[in-house]
Amino acid sequence: MGLISFSINGTAVSGAEGETVLTVARRAGIHIPTLCHHEAVEPSGACRLCMVEITHKDWKGWKGLVTACLYPIEHGLEVSTDNEAVRECRRNVLDLLLARCPNAPAIRDLAAEYGLKQTTLTVDEDPTNCILCGLCTRVCAEMGHHAISTVGRGVSKKIGLPLDEPAESCVGCAVCARICPTDAITFREDGKTRRIWGQNFELLRCSECGASHITRAQAEFICEREGMTIEDFEKCDACRSRETALAFSRMVQW
Amino acid sequence: MVEKEMAVQLKRLYVTPGKCIGCRTCELSCTFVHSTEVGRLRRSRVKVHDTGNETFIPVLCLQCEVAACVRACPVGALVRNETTGAIDVDEERCVRCLSCVVACPFGNMLHDEQAAMVVKCDVCGGNPACAMFCPTKALVYR
Repeated sequence: MGLISFSINGTAVSGAEGETVLTVARRAGIHIPTLCHHEAVEPSGACRLCMVEITHKDWKGWKGLVTACLYPIEHGLEVSTDNEAVRECRRNVLDLLLARCPNAPAIRDLAAEYGLKQTTLTVDEDPTNCILCGLCTRVCAEMGHHAISTVGRGVSKKIGLPLDEPAESCVGCAVCARICPTDAITFREDGKTRRIWGQNFELLRCSECGASHITRAQAEFICEREGMTIEDFEKCDACRSRETALAFSRMVQW
Repeated sequence: MVEKEMAVQLKRLYVTPGKCIGCRTCELSCTFVHSTEVGRLRRSRVKVHDTGNETFIPVLCLQCEVAACVRACPVGALVRNETTGAIDVDEERCVRCLSCVVACPFGNMLHDEQAAMVVKCDVCGGNPACAMFCPTKALVYR
């Protein structure tokens, strides 16, 4: 137990045992770029953008590049988050990502930060915005749905549905689309239905104003988990806020 | 023992509806203090309702002891702030499934689509702007 002291860019920092370099760096306000990292799920080190250089006075001059999101902190570690070796490494990663996703704004912006206007490699014939980081699949599993996963291997690997058929466990919550760091997953809504992953989901609409937040399938999923009934979701937040005010006005005497 | 002492020290936002004149200064100040960029205003977490007969009631998060939003969150992104006693949204952890928005029975959990985040009253970290600017002291933090 006790705090582990080490340094990031020459500044003394400390963290608890088991914490990662990224966690401590963020807490200290030191910026390390990430794409596949999200606090809601375990780190996976997929995007390779959080690469940092580490060394230690006992390592006889040995230096190494590691992912900050996975590397556990240790006493006396010396971390560099922005030296030339690190920048070169990230530039190479972004060069590859840019070849795959030449049109993704998130990748283009990051690449520009590292001095890359366009990829030095051959642009993918079939460009996509998906970097295959799998954040969507990890969050989907965390939510308890397990609807999407990585499908195929090698160059044909993609994010998709098992056997490319509509998944029964998908509730159309669209968290995958909202959380995607490169906006590769899209959904369409017309006020009544939401279309995502090849399925149409009925949107649960407020009985008073018609506004909608979630799908009926997601509401049913929450009902089952929390022991609620679908009637609990009859009204939207705005109409419920108004109901609260009316209930108070009846209760309070003045 | 420590918990008891904490509970005594914690302040709360008190609403006195009879004093509210419906000027909505609270909504304006809430939006203002929570907006981080010029021209991109965030949604107000307090809402003044006209309930008829010229009575106005400001509705904001009650910071429930046993909160439906906290229970509904599948990733633990809603956490009680030990210093303010308010329930805060951990924006790094939130996955925007909107479970909390539909779970709150009082309609005090909001989805701010422009900010791409769920928002709720955080008592401004211990110095609520709504109470500070309320001209009639209908909202008081004590």
